[in-house]
Amino acid sequence: MQKRIFPVTGSDTAHAMRWGAIAAFSLIVGIFLGSRGLRDFDPALVSYAGACVFTVFGLGYRYAMWLRRPPTRLYWYRGWQIFLEPRHFLRNAVHLGRIILRNIVLQRFIEKRSHLRWTAHWFLAWGCILAGAVTFPLSFGWIRFETAAHNQEIYRALLFGIPVGSFHLGTWIAEAAFNILDIAAVMVLIGIFFAMWRRGRDHGAMSVQQFSNDLIPLILLFAICVTGLFLTVSTHLMHGLHYIFLSQLHAVTVILTLLYLPFGKFFHIFQRPAQLGLDFYKRAGAEGPQAKCRRCGEEFRSQLHVEDLKTIQAALRIRYQMADGSHYQDICPQCRRKNVALIQDGLWKATSMSERGLL
Amino acid sequence: MMERAFFIDYSRCIGCQSCVQACAECDTHRGTSMIHLETIERRDSVQTAPQICMHCEDPICAQVCPADAIKKTPDGVVQSSLKPRCIGCSNCVLSCPFGVPKYLSNIDQMMKCDMCYDRSSVGKKPMCATVCPSGALTFTTMEEIQRTRQGIPINSWKFGAEEVKTKVYVMVPREVTRVDVDLVQIRTTAPALPKDPYDVALMLEEIQ
Amino acid sequence: MARLPVDIPTLVKDFGPTLHRIPAGGWAHTIEDEKLVKTHCCFCGQQCGIQLRVHNNKIVGFEPWEDFPFNRGKLCPKGVKRYMQDEHPDRLKHPMQRVEGKGFEAISWDFALQRVSSEIRRIQDTYGKDAFAILTGASLTNEKAYLMGKFARVALQTANIDYNGRLCMVSAGAASKKVFGIDRSANPWSDIPKAKVILVAGANIAECAPITTDYIWQARENGAKLIILDPRMTPIARNADLFIPVRSGGDIGVFNGMLHVMIERGWIDRPFIDQHTVGFEQLAETVRKYTPEYAAKIAGVPPAMIVKAAELWGPAPTSFLMHSRGIEHHTKGVDNCIAAINLVVASGRIGREGCGYAMITGQGNGQGAREQGQKCDQLPGMRDIANPEHRRYIAGIWGVPEESIPQKGLSAIPLVEAIHDGKIKGLISICFNPAISLPDANFVREALEKLEFYVNIDFFLSDTARYADVVLAGSLMEEDEGTTTSVEGRVIRHRKVVAPPGEAREDWKILCDIADRLGHGDKFRYASPREIFEEMRIASKGGVSDYFGMSWERIEENNGLFWPCPEAGHPGTPRLYENGKFGHPDGKAHFIPIEWRPSAEMPDEEYPIILTTGRVVSQFLSGNQTRRIGSLVDQYSQPLCEIHPRLAEKLGIADGDFVKVESRRGNVVVRANLVKTIRPDTVFVPYHWPLDRSANNCTIRAIDPVSNIPEFKTCAVRVSKVNQPTDPIAMLEVQAGGIQ
Repeated sequence: MQKRIFPVTGSDTAHAMRWGAIAAFSLIVGIFLGSRGLRDFDPALVSYAGACVFTVFGLGYRYAMWLRRPPTRLYWYRGWQIFLEPRHFLRNAVHLGRIILRNIVLQRFIEKRSHLRWTAHWFLAWGCILAGAVTFPLSFGWIRFETAAHNQEIYRALLFGIPVGSFHLGTWIAEAAFNILDIAAVMVLIGIFFAMWRRGRDHGAMSVQQFSNDLIPLILLFAICVTGLFLTVSTHLMHGLHYIFLSQLHAVTVILTLLYLPFGKFFHIFQRPAQLGLDFYKRAGAEGPQAKCRRCGEEFRSQLHVEDLKTIQAALRIRYQMADGSHYQDICPQCRRKNVALIQDGLWKATSMSERGLL
Repeated sequence: MMERAFFIDYSRCIGCQSCVQACAECDTHRGTSMIHLETIERRDSVQTAPQICMHCEDPICAQVCPADAIKKTPDGVVQSSLKPRCIGCSNCVLSCPFGVPKYLSNIDQMMKCDMCYDRSSVGKKPMCATVCPSGALTFTTMEEIQRTRQGIPINSWKFGAEEVKTKVYVMVPREVTRVDVDLVQIRTTAPALPKDPYDVALMLEEIQ
Repeated sequence: MARLPVDIPTLVKDFGPTLHRIPAGGWAHTIEDEKLVKTHCCFCGQQCGIQLRVHNNKIVGFEPWEDFPFNRGKLCPKGVKRYMQDEHPDRLKHPMQRVEGKGFEAISWDFALQRVSSEIRRIQDTYGKDAFAILTGASLTNEKAYLMGKFARVALQTANIDYNGRLCMVSAGAASKKVFGIDRSANPWSDIPKAKVILVAGANIAECAPITTDYIWQARENGAKLIILDPRMTPIARNADLFIPVRSGGDIGVFNGMLHVMIERGWIDRPFIDQHTVGFEQLAETVRKYTPEYAAKIAGVPPAMIVKAAELWGPAPTSFLMHSRGIEHHTKGVDNCIAAINLVVASGRIGREGCGYAMITGQGNGQGAREQGQKCDQLPGMRDIANPEHRRYIAGIWGVPEESIPQKGLSAIPLVEAIHDGKIKGLISICFNPAISLPDANFVREALEKLEFYVNIDFFLSDTARYADVVLAGSLMEEDEGTTTSVEGRVIRHRKVVAPPGEAREDWKILCDIADRLGHGDKFRYASPREIFEEMRIASKGGVSDYFGMSWERIEENNGLFWPCPEAGHPGTPRLYENGKFGHPDGKAHFIPIEWRPSAEMPDEEYPIILTTGRVVSQFLSGNQTRRIGSLVDQYSQPLCEIHPRLAEKLGIADGDFVKVESRRGNVVVRANLVKTIRPDTVFVPYHWPLDRSANNCTIRAIDPVSNIPEFKTCAVRVSKVNQPTDPIAMLEVQAGGIQ
């Protein structure tokens, strides 16, 4: 297995370009097929679809690049290897469901960092997911809505051209369906409000936050939400005043965000699921043999992890081989700390003893 | 103001834990202490030692991070893991040559000493080095440390064959130019020193 | 009726100690509307400068105060977490009275003060003035210490007032006074790094005066040699050039032995001795027999160590000697200190830059609180209560007839014995927790139960306050203002940071109110502590500790002023005895020959091991404050018995076993901590914990004839392995004296 993971050969850029192109091409094919040969494709949304293609290229590129890093690469393979282990597949699938609920749906690990942070993140994340679940298929022409032929009061939703449901105008489902983006926008705005509240008051957060990484994403989302809500306001309250201008403005904000997606903070949306793979890795490690520290003799981590780290370090050319043939990775972190202090203290003791003629 | 740096002299440490208590008062990680204070082996000795992040020039923790979550600021401070990215794998915890990063299982995330970034980034001293009563942890200018200490500050290390350069300095005798960690000391004193140098019974044996 | 109203677990449930872990407002706090107040730590005598962070009138944290010259921002863990006693759930917020079978119930101030004053009257009318006693403390400000003395002599007119500095500084103070003529550390700490040899006797500096560590390390960077005397290898002893693991109570052997060698080899300053001292010949005569071999037997160490110590100390160009409780807590505590000081004076290295002597004060105002007249034998300005001239001066300040001022009363231990004997019937105490801090704790608890009326002023319900009939909710250091005098003799300002919570009141107001109800209100009309300071300043005029030239403004401007400061423009006196001018009327230092004598209780067949007691860095004294702070309790949660593996092996004890340390007076059951860093004939138990975890259950109620300090540092015990205790006290949490 390790032979297959390392060494990594060939040019990183070429490799990543290739995966970027594959991802972009797949999306184009997906759009073509999903919209039944562009029959369901809405030409008004072509700029969105185009931006998506570019974004997907960027994501593919970045993801491939990311997987070229030795530690990422190793975990990627290990995660799948452990997950797909035939003996445990069923158990793993059940566990996957559980951790998806816990970590992705509820995001409980963020709650433990701070309630405020969790509240902000939950609203932001689910506002965005909700909006994305509607807008992406719409711009790809994968879903569309039409009035029923026999009744103007009934709306039908079609996915890939196949009717998947219908609802009556005037029902709450209709209200929800027509205003779903407004609901999402309000959720995101709530999230932004909490996030900015925290970032404006938490002394610690303020000292480490960066404009480009931490504030730009919030500004982009804010722009999308506000311009999107303007469209609703224009339609319902102002008889379509400036609608064209506003929709173009909205498109600009969305497209900018799409282009930012692979490169900025939002990339964590695609990195984060790696945590799921890691969960399996940790479980497998805990069930296997444990590594004992060569200095104190205590178990400190799974043998699997320690050996994998040696592989990663070798790939990164980190040379932890010791003079006596042992490996520094076999020393637990606590003993490393003690060892460094002992060496420094020993240097002083040796000096003072040689001064006193004792050595 | 002259640029200040962090200097450690482990041998000065008295184990009082002021640093541990004060670390938890720093705003970037308030309530959670990031510094380590080791009691080397209480049965044999009263030796203790603090360990903050050494802020390596090319941090191994960042190299082994699968999530690319560990970043260095332009002023050379290696930060805690980026919260959106860190997946809690502990590669950094196990790979750091100084044993610094902490994995906090409740938040499934690595945190570490960031030199009290809220303080040091605005010209204040880090908490631990401000309160440390023994001067084991000191944040001052290079001139001041050279003027007041017998030893010299160095920041070159070798762990096995791996050379490491750190932003944080350690005080060593004048003849030393680099700390080589090529043998792991199993005992509680350096091999060149007498065995059990702190055993009071042995000190008294002469009269029995 | 001073008995526990309900059982201890119930009292613990109602009044703690509860662990406080999260600051007011939580860890994540805002940075707006915050103010920083410069003040000082409330704990030990180092009196480190610190800034407290205040938000919405609540103390929410601290910030180092790097400009204060003594500690330059440095703090020990107690200082870092001291703010956690603010906004504490255990905080007493109103007066209370004892209710049998129930505990304590809130009462109004009016009712409380009425009851206290009528009980004082009743007891004094029935049994005489001296039957009502006062126990006070050395963590009070100078202003409060002054007020306590005046309150005793003017409002109560009782002779029986003493303070817990009796457990702390009195041996060192008496020795300094005898040899130098003045009871104060002779030098500012800035002299320490300039010394070429430093001798530290019986002072666990790393844990009990941590800030001093940097001064000593700095001296070593400058080439100083370090000598440490201690039965345990303390953290600073690990790096010492010479560590002498002296047997507890054997210090005179080392000091006299060193002097013997110094005289023999000519390492004494003859011209200085001739010019500035008296009594050297008798001293030389006495130490003649203290050959290294003879001295070593007394000290319980190899003779070579004593010779080495003399070789390091004797010829050095500059030197600094410091000591604390390790040599002072003995029935020969004063003698131990004198023998140490003899070394300083014989070398002539005193009163110059880098040459000096210091006693390391333990309590917050250990220095100042013994100057302002709350000792049984002193009036303000360190005046002698038996001296008619001194009495007249103070009577004049107070506006009372000289004969109304009582004569010398009982010191703390005899005072508690008089309570036990039924001679003292009533007690008011403040800032003193004798149930934990006095030796022979079982006797002390018995004594408390014999009081007819006991009123306690405190901010938490201390282990002693549980016995009170009335508890008056007082103030924390940061809820009042005033001055203290630090270990260096530096008078510094404590600022008021917040107001006392609820109905709690400033201590000085409580005392003035009681005095008023006793009909002496006219002598206690103060609008603020500053007015008390002004009166105290004048009262100290012409005394040894002369504060007359000080004002709060001058103290603040100068980051403290050293006494004596006799007139308004005087810069203060950081270093005493310059140019060989000592404090005695003849201007000379008085050598006093010292012979070693055994401790009150030496180990024998039945109790073969020496028990010595002391402190840990994360706790302070009786723990009434620090056992309520979560992170400090976490650091060292319950007392451990340090025992050498060789001794442990003989006794069949393994690391972590429960052991019973038992003396003729009582026992303490704690876990064993096997360490090679202690003498194999000695065990150590820290004393901060109550009840069955109190090391003072074992210690002996024997006192030094001069200073009346108890012999905390030596008693005879036996140690045996026992099962983990499961009684109701053991079931309590660690901070309350349990093992959970």
